[in-house]
Amino acid sequence: MIKILFAGEGGQGVQVVAEMLAKAAFLDGKKSLYIPNFGVEQRGGVSLAFVVIDEKSVTYPKFGKAHILAIFSDRSINRVKRYIDQDTQIILGPAVTQKVENSLSVKKDDISIKAWNILTLGKVVNLSKAVSKENLIKAMEERFKKYFDKDPRIKEMDLKALNKEL
Amino acid sequence: MNNNQPRFPECFKKDSKPHKFCPGCGHPLVLKALGQVIDEMGISEKTVFMVDIGCSLLAWDFFDIPTTQTHHGRTIPTAVGFKKVKKDKIVIAYVGDGGAYAIGLQHTITSCLRNDPITTIVVNNTVYAMTGGQLAPTTTDNEITTTTPEGKKEFATLKGPEMLKEIANKEAYLARGSSFKPLVLKQYLKKAIETQIKGNFSLVEAVSACPTNWKTNAQETIERVNELEKIFTQGEIKND
Amino acid sequence: MKDFLMGNQILAYAALNAGAKAMFGYPITPSCEILETWAVLCSKDKNLSLLQTEDEMAAGFGTIGSCLAGVPAFTATAGPGNVLMQDAFSMAEALRIPTVAMIMQRGGLSTSTVIYSQEEVRLTCFGGNGEGFRVVYSTSNLQELYDYTLKAFKVAWKYRWPTFILADGYQAKMKGEIEIGKKNGDLNNKAILKKGVNLRNCYNLEEEIGEVIVNYENDYQKNRAEIEEAETYKLEDAKIALLAHGIVGSAAKIAVDKLREKGLKIGLFRPITLRPFPVIEAAKTLDKVEKIFVIESALGQLSSLFKDELYDLSIPLVEINKPGVGFTPSEIVGIINEQ
Repeated sequence: MIKILFAGEGGQGVQVVAEMLAKAAFLDGKKSLYIPNFGVEQRGGVSLAFVVIDEKSVTYPKFGKAHILAIFSDRSINRVKRYIDQDTQIILGPAVTQKVENSLSVKKDDISIKAWNILTLGKVVNLSKAVSKENLIKAMEERFKKYFDKDPRIKEMDLKALNKEL
Repeated sequence: MNNNQPRFPECFKKDSKPHKFCPGCGHPLVLKALGQVIDEMGISEKTVFMVDIGCSLLAWDFFDIPTTQTHHGRTIPTAVGFKKVKKDKIVIAYVGDGGAYAIGLQHTITSCLRNDPITTIVVNNTVYAMTGGQLAPTTTDNEITTTTPEGKKEFATLKGPEMLKEIANKEAYLARGSSFKPLVLKQYLKKAIETQIKGNFSLVEAVSACPTNWKTNAQETIERVNELEKIFTQGEIKND
Repeated sequence: MKDFLMGNQILAYAALNAGAKAMFGYPITPSCEILETWAVLCSKDKNLSLLQTEDEMAAGFGTIGSCLAGVPAFTATAGPGNVLMQDAFSMAEALRIPTVAMIMQRGGLSTSTVIYSQEEVRLTCFGGNGEGFRVVYSTSNLQELYDYTLKAFKVAWKYRWPTFILADGYQAKMKGEIEIGKKNGDLNNKAILKKGVNLRNCYNLEEEIGEVIVNYENDYQKNRAEIEEAETYKLEDAKIALLAHGIVGSAAKIAVDKLREKGLKIGLFRPITLRPFPVIEAAKTLDKVEKIFVIESALGQLSSLFKDELYDLSIPLVEINKPGVGFTPSEIVGIINEQ
């Protein structure tokens, strides 16, 4: 069973990538549950997303300690300290400037800020091997079909972001 | 301090800033206009501020003025209760279009009928924003919301101040401004509070913006607000 | 047919497959997607209808109106909306109207959080000025949201008590795999208001209402055995039982397995119907148990229901309350180990 926690602020696309990951697991034939956790502000505030993936069975969506923690913003760091133990692998997205112990940073390179969440998702999957690349891409294409159909450059950018760390 | 900086209203609570509203939201513009009016009229010591459920609740700690958040649509009756026993206070009910014109509609109408000397500010962005963009009483024709996925067709758009005009006291004050025209809005807010001081009902609606739920960029948001200013007639609604 | 959906979406599809034709509702987090999904279903099928009402009271009474016409209808709400709907649910109780309502519990006390709690148990079971003549299903996972919605419509139209799916904001917003094919057969829904029918819920003298309520109570008790449901897990040789409902029940089940690995003789009693409370199953499976730990995201609301109906069991109860806050399986393991 893999427990992955994404943390950022409203507007950073935390929920989108967490859902994509859970959907990719479903497409792989695994069991998964995704659940968001945030307050009333539509923007800003802290936005958390829990994803649990298992070969056989997942019956509860939240957990005490994360195997993988992907942090998208400085302001969400305090909120997620309680989910960290000695086994947690911490990934910092490109927008994070604070130093966090025992963490891996994802470099933004030439990826647009609009795709930093996808970039970080690629790293999460690269580390966890939680889902197959094919179905992760498929889940992304399904989710963004409307945007990809309208503008193929968005598809290009997102695929580039995903594959960078994948 | 640089004298070219625009001043924060004195009655703002500094430690609740930066505020929690989305980028591009009309609320902070309306609240700033209100803050300036309170400063200029020198009434911060005797003002009480009440907010509804919805995005207006994010203003619960906006001012350094006694504030309470109420239940959805119940801001007006709470304000009425307070004013009834404290006539020397200025009581302001700050609500959204849902609180004023849907769940709280009976209170809005009844309060106007009674000529309750409170001031209601209705921030109208044509959707239920905090819950994710559902239909509102002020949703415009063919507007797409999450519960009118094919565009609102069947029922009318509620024009609050015009509707209240039929039952308002001669001395009551009803007006509609825009969050994007704050100087004009300030005039209406000022007159509304003066109306309360003279013992009569006042309601000012402010057309607002919600780029988050409208899913519009900056340019589109401005265009949409310009459109709304035509649909929701700007100006004072006189009863003669 | 398998799909990957959010709890709220599942509820809307389940209502459709259960035979519902109309929904009345008012947006309130965390139930909004039920309304929004139904809106999309309506745009594809003109035989379905949706009314987003001016408030929850209108939504509740609108649902009653549709049922009076013999058309299965439902509503969905949470928290303060649930409070307002008690006006309508009281009337549904009094007139035996088969309303179905989905309650996605959010934080208790006033507006609270929009997220989660189990603090609407008392409200949903006994709200309004009634006597709790209701059927309340507490679901614990996505599949149960679907399966029990189908059942709720059947049970409502058969036994004529206002029927509820009592879930919560976690189940509302979580996404996972779901088997979504089953449909209800005919609900035997006929018009309640028709020639010869004159309904009232206002009475003149004390004895009149006394008789009505006693008759209702007899009906309620007479049928409860067919309606009561519970899940029992590893209780056969258990010395300790966990008593939990809803999604806490799911966490507790995992905790039972973990505690069993350490040799503890522990099991789970998970009431599925909170009204009528599954007393028959409880009496049968809990009689050898020496201690019960009640675990809930409220202040003793589940435990009150249990004590109310099963006082005679006289088993020591320990209440583990975390109002408005969830329990992970490892938390429950930790709590039990400490006891």
